[in-house]
Amino acid sequence: MDYTRREILETLRMTELEHFDVRTVTIGVSLLDCGHEDPEEAGRRVYAKLMRVAGPLPGVVAEITEALGIRVANRRIAVSPVALIGTRAEPASYLAIARAIDRAAQEMGFDFVGGYSALVHDGFTRADRALIASMPEALSTTKTLCSSVNAGSSRTGLNLDAVRLVAHMLKETAYLTRESGSLGCAKFVIFANAVEDNPFMAGAFHGIGLPEVVIHTGVSGPGVVCQAIRRAGPCDLRALAEVIKRAAYRITKVGEILGRQVADKMGVPFGIVDLSLAPTPELGDSVGEVLEAMGLERTGACGTTAALAMLTDAVKKGGVMATSAVGGLSGAFIPVSEDAAMIAAVREGALSLEKLEAMTSVCSVGLDMVAVPGDVSEELLTGFIADELAIGIINHKTTAVRVIPAYGKRVGESVSFGGLLGEAPVMDLRRLSCEAFVRRGGQMPAPITSLRN
Amino acid sequence: MDRERLAYQVAEILLRHLPQGAEPSAVEAVAADLVRLLEAQGGEAAATDEPSGRRLMVLTVLGRNHSGIVHAFSEVLAEAAVDIVDINQTIVHGNFAMMMIVDPTSSKLSFTDLKAALKHRGDEVGVQVFVQYEDLMRALNRI
Repeated sequence: MDYTRREILETLRMTELEHFDVRTVTIGVSLLDCGHEDPEEAGRRVYAKLMRVAGPLPGVVAEITEALGIRVANRRIAVSPVALIGTRAEPASYLAIARAIDRAAQEMGFDFVGGYSALVHDGFTRADRALIASMPEALSTTKTLCSSVNAGSSRTGLNLDAVRLVAHMLKETAYLTRESGSLGCAKFVIFANAVEDNPFMAGAFHGIGLPEVVIHTGVSGPGVVCQAIRRAGPCDLRALAEVIKRAAYRITKVGEILGRQVADKMGVPFGIVDLSLAPTPELGDSVGEVLEAMGLERTGACGTTAALAMLTDAVKKGGVMATSAVGGLSGAFIPVSEDAAMIAAVREGALSLEKLEAMTSVCSVGLDMVAVPGDVSEELLTGFIADELAIGIINHKTTAVRVIPAYGKRVGESVSFGGLLGEAPVMDLRRLSCEAFVRRGGQMPAPITSLRN
Repeated sequence: MDRERLAYQVAEILLRHLPQGAEPSAVEAVAADLVRLLEAQGGEAAATDEPSGRRLMVLTVLGRNHSGIVHAFSEVLAEAAVDIVDINQTIVHGNFAMMMIVDPTSSKLSFTDLKAALKHRGDEVGVQVFVQYEDLMRALNRI
């Protein structure tokens, strides 16, 4: 027999018992040819192109997952940053496009579409300003649309004015979606060093350097890593790293084989596998649980940052062996509301925002799905976001903030979004003022390390 | 078998049976004609003799051991004209585990229907059945 009994049974254990699924198959679609001076016409073009290009994907994915014996949690679309679709630079124009995208996605059965985005890391165009101004209404009146802003990069520094605009926008979105726990904010993320080929939401967009259409996959698999660590028992760190690498290899390989087969069948190029460990709120599918299996009493204990650093690094090392098309964010995600062990750690007071911020310096991606009290000021929110983005800019990595200033909620309460987005306990933010600092505005200069040529 | 080797073998047979001193060019001509005839007759069979790029399936059956499990599944496979390439069966702590590598190339059923038929048979005999193409096993276990 070509395969040993052990190999076959181990493969089945992974797919059947350990919550393994491929988190997302994301089709990237360029919308740069859909622009029109009349926004309604631009919307019609966007709708038509999405229906034509992305329409076959759900069927193709269903067929291939059946044949391979694996599950795919989500099918998603990433579109070109919408601010780049040439149309009249007014908020209403972009709302027409937002509605067209949302309608297409819902008709085809996609759960999220990313790319209602502006890249403003070194300043705004008129289109960027109009798009950002339209975001509160777009996020509160559509279901599938996800939005992002890239406000800084290691080459350009930080556009603090963009962060202030975003803070203002988030407060407004939180208010408009107050009936659903300020859900609108969960569909928006602000980045430093955003990547063009990220398949995960809310930050996916189809970068301008990519082909017309492309297929990316994003794997998941904290459950598989966690079980492997538990089976390994009390080994030393070098041996533990080996265990994690092996698990990451297997997880990534599945993402690669699935992505390639889907791309082949669709007749489009295969892009990348994002080998991030992405948790779900489901028990047994948690990055926090992996950290705890490594030997921490709770996520947030001393040693958490070190454990996470080692985990992220080992995942990358295992992953690159499995595919030569690694991309996206590729690390470990620590979204609070989407991870059962993280939620528990916050509720018990083990995990604070400051510790979470420290953790983001060693993993992708950032402060993800954290809820803060609804009464925090725009200035405070600006400072909070700027801190996280500075970590990314100085360290040449992607960082992001997906924060929910939950309208009408106080520390100790929580907001529940259901499904994959989970439940976020409202966390405390230091109330010391940073107003005089953020009101200075302008562009924080690029770091000295940007001069690499 | 490639054409050249076939022609060589046919010529060898002719030389063995023809009287000594037969004209070599005549033998070659007869051999060439025979090869063409053979190819026209059995071209398809010769092509599938060593199937390249066939996609095998892995069928795994897990459950409590009782009599007739192997028979139950080989029956479904035989009815669908699916070839069993390899079979491996073991008992672990009273639990039955069977792994079959099968070749669905000439199957009468589509992958989905075959999978459904096998799952249905699994329900009848009270065991768990997993059916998948071998792609995943190959990818995960071979670097």
